[in-house]
Amino acid sequence: MAERWDAIVVGGGHNGLVCAAYLAKAGQRVLVLERRDVLGGAAVSEELYPGFTYSVCSYVVSLLRPWIIRDLQLPRFGLQIIPLECAFLPLHEGAGLARWSDPERTRQEIARFSAKDAEVYPEFGKTMVQMARFIKPLIDAPAADPLSLKPGRLTDLWRTGQRFRELSTEHRLQLSKMMTMSAADYLDEWFESDALKAHMSVSGIIGTFQGVRSPGTAYVLLHHYMGEIDGAFRSWGFSKGGTGQVSLAIAASARHHGAEIRTGVGVERVRLHNGRATGVVLANGDELDARAVVSGVDPHRTFLGMVGEEHLPEEFTAQIRRYKLRGSSGKVNLAVDRLPVFSCRPEGDAHLRGDVAIAPSIEYLERAYDEAKYGEFSKRPYLNVVIPSLVDPSVAPPGKHVISCFVQYAPYHLKAGAHTWPERREEFGDAVVDTLAEYVPGLKESILHRQVLTPWDLEQEFGMTEGNIFHGELSLEQLAFQRPAPGWAHYRTPVRDLWMCGSGTHPGGGIMGASGALAARTMLGARSG
Amino acid sequence: MSHDVIVVGAGHNGLTTAALLGKAGRNVLVLERRGVPGGLAAREEFHPGYSAPGLLHDSGHVRAGVVAALGLVRHGLVLHEASPDVLISRTGEAGLVLSSDERAMVEALGAVSDRDAEAWPRWCAQLSRWRRLISRLADNPPPDVEGTGVSALVSVISPALALRRLGRRGMAELLHVLPMCAADWLNEWFETPALKAALAGPAVAGTWTGPWSAGSAMQLLWQSCTEGRHVVGGASTVTAALLAAAKEADVELRTEAEVTRVEVQDGKVTGVTLASGENLPARTVVASCDPSRALLGLIAKRHLPTTLESHIRNWRMRGTTAKLHLALDALPEWVAAPGQRVRRARLVGDLDDLERAFDAVKYGRASSEPYLDVALPSLEDPSLAPEGKAVMSVLVSFAPYHLEGGWNDVRREELADTVLATLERHAPGLKRRVLAREMLSPADIEQRYGATGGHVHHGEHALDQWLHARPELDCSRYETPISGLYLCGSGSHPGGGLSCAPGWLAARAIAGPSAGR
Repeated sequence: MAERWDAIVVGGGHNGLVCAAYLAKAGQRVLVLERRDVLGGAAVSEELYPGFTYSVCSYVVSLLRPWIIRDLQLPRFGLQIIPLECAFLPLHEGAGLARWSDPERTRQEIARFSAKDAEVYPEFGKTMVQMARFIKPLIDAPAADPLSLKPGRLTDLWRTGQRFRELSTEHRLQLSKMMTMSAADYLDEWFESDALKAHMSVSGIIGTFQGVRSPGTAYVLLHHYMGEIDGAFRSWGFSKGGTGQVSLAIAASARHHGAEIRTGVGVERVRLHNGRATGVVLANGDELDARAVVSGVDPHRTFLGMVGEEHLPEEFTAQIRRYKLRGSSGKVNLAVDRLPVFSCRPEGDAHLRGDVAIAPSIEYLERAYDEAKYGEFSKRPYLNVVIPSLVDPSVAPPGKHVISCFVQYAPYHLKAGAHTWPERREEFGDAVVDTLAEYVPGLKESILHRQVLTPWDLEQEFGMTEGNIFHGELSLEQLAFQRPAPGWAHYRTPVRDLWMCGSGTHPGGGIMGASGALAARTMLGARSG
Repeated sequence: MSHDVIVVGAGHNGLTTAALLGKAGRNVLVLERRGVPGGLAAREEFHPGYSAPGLLHDSGHVRAGVVAALGLVRHGLVLHEASPDVLISRTGEAGLVLSSDERAMVEALGAVSDRDAEAWPRWCAQLSRWRRLISRLADNPPPDVEGTGVSALVSVISPALALRRLGRRGMAELLHVLPMCAADWLNEWFETPALKAALAGPAVAGTWTGPWSAGSAMQLLWQSCTEGRHVVGGASTVTAALLAAAKEADVELRTEAEVTRVEVQDGKVTGVTLASGENLPARTVVASCDPSRALLGLIAKRHLPTTLESHIRNWRMRGTTAKLHLALDALPEWVAAPGQRVRRARLVGDLDDLERAFDAVKYGRASSEPYLDVALPSLEDPSLAPEGKAVMSVLVSFAPYHLEGGWNDVRREELADTVLATLERHAPGLKRRVLAREMLSPADIEQRYGATGGHVHHGEHALDQWLHARPELDCSRYETPISGLYLCGSGSHPGGGLSCAPGWLAARAIAGPSAGR
């Protein structure tokens, strides 16, 4: 008789691996299937040019939950996070703006732009931390669901409500503002310096198809402060050896607990029998049996691709169809033969040991968005640039560096159609390099190799529908109890024994691992109960 | 003689509050800065013999409760049986008439899209399912989320239960739609570009949002669900009826009486001071002007709690609406409706065009291809124009209050030219029929009507400035932290438009629920 697994996890991205590790740790027989030859999904490192290791997609470790790091003993399996030391905003005039982990240094930097802002900045931070304290438990637990009348769910809701009431009036107010306002408007209430506001606002738009002036973007500002309360492990940082090391550490932990992981094995379909998931059908036609199937891929691909709408309730299919995944970002990775020198701050490299934002003004960012809204990539995009080789020499030969540029906006749906991306790829890459070169003269001459990933490539290569790096837009109507569909936010699906554990479930994108862990916990709870 | 209550501003909300309080036996004085009462709903003669019936076009949002409480029908208000038809005109396309008659609408849509014709009745049914809940919200003070008493609990639980009554599916759908953008929502339902733009237009007009801005779906939903019977003759006839009701309730009205300060002693209101220096004592002052003017302009800083002051400073009211009045020699000839006497029209492109029109204000420019909401009020009220002539009133979206370089005569006339050029495309020959024109930029609107930033809604209709956050937690229930000072304008729940609801709810807050019946 064929082998039968307790659970097959589809997709070896970080969430799939986290889910597998938790299940295996609880004694389940787990198999992870990854279509690509390398593990990690979007959290992957690859040596695409000899001697240079790119963190191909995801480039910083953001909010990887500390309890997951502890539970899975990730440091023991090779995880090492090097904190970002600085956030640097180069400008054409002056020396730019660097914000450091040292508050006093930051104050001095901001004071060059506005004395008032420099005074307000720590107060802003304190307010954010207070609110992050409220949000944190929400991303560490399944979403409270106002649609459900089950006593357990109502208790969740009540508890969340109570916690909200326990906040001070002012913080309640600020929190509701953050949930609904645009990053730019919200920052306007606090600060006057355009450069500072632009620099801060970008965290609100990463991975979204929204502009800094779009309502709903203020909330993500909180994420930057969430890391500060996560404790010993600074959650924002580089993973030594590249982002892929995060995935490899999780995989090693999963294997340690007995999970089996296969790469180069694509899943074609979820096999169903009498409305239950009973295993998977592979691309080569082989079938594998399992008591449960867990999908780490996005909701569109899972349900419309691997299950098929004929097996799903019509209402659910309609909800999945309306689930929006419009990808908006791309990635350019560069191998360079010297450290880039920013003309506004040519001395030293401390300011480059973090992330560098090309976001000189609110207007610049908004114009970049406006172009994308109508189906064009931004000619002068927002860039989030990191040079991991500066703090982690293992990813580049001595004296040489890798530069990772996260690029926004690059709408999946170009006006002429998404399929025209391949012929626009180099033009897109040029726009990114040109933009960066305006701040780094000599950049072009230093480039040894470049990799350009458009949203089309992210879809084709990494299987993320429409190139959406978060497996679905992080807009309010697609968060919490509505992610990915109202009533289906708790990792279950209308198909019995089919579960979801990817970023398309609460709490969503970024290398948090929470979706995978919460899915595993829910499954285990269902099994024991 | 001293008054119990002084109402600052004789706009439709100020008059509503005044009339209701008068009816409840208070001795009320209304002070109006301008020479005429009515505020945004005042009849304005912009050229000898030619008048516009107010700044705003839509008269379909006056709450039925206000009409009943003040007996406005007895005071001359005439209500239409059905909402007026609205012509949707998009260059190069046949016209489409937006009608409240569902069958007519299905038939009209059938000519352009089977899918939309099929979807329309479902769309209307969905909105009407939500109507009760939204009406309940619009007809009551916002939920008292901070209060601890029984009534506070009821104010929160009652809408929650109304939400529950929609059923699981209905509730899920409403919660899903609320934070969305209008464009996404409409795209889920319809495919005809002009229809979608025409439905989104009113939701974003007057606001600092485009159809792709999150929260615009809520505006669309709110407006659709609160629309009721329209008033014959438009805004200024509402003002006339309110004035009659106020008079009957012995309310005293003084025009050309600008309040420059609300006097406060020991945290209590003692009266007001006029621009002339005159002092008028009163223990209750109700401000119908916008929150910024009321709390930052009329109250000395030392009387305001600092958090309140900073919150009101952050109150967003960046006006985006301009207004063009035209005196016409003859009625326009619409390409989209040849030979027809069109009372209302929306001149649109598609959703992206509407968004582009909005984009301009982000950079301090006026739209080069604005969205135009057109009314020909003289067709309904012939007294607005000499016989055989016509008045056209155009609401222009978008023109920013903060125009780069500032507003001046040249910029204002440039905008008028832009609007006329757009009109000309939809109604060729119009320019030749123009006898006179009056263009109001947001700066002019501010100056004429006193609305800060020229914002016709007295503050952005955005999720963070809605319900209990309008205009600020501590004054969202019309009371303010200053004893005796109340707010009753569009900057209070449920917001702008000719609903008279803020004025109505403020009167109830001041004199008890019976004052609103």
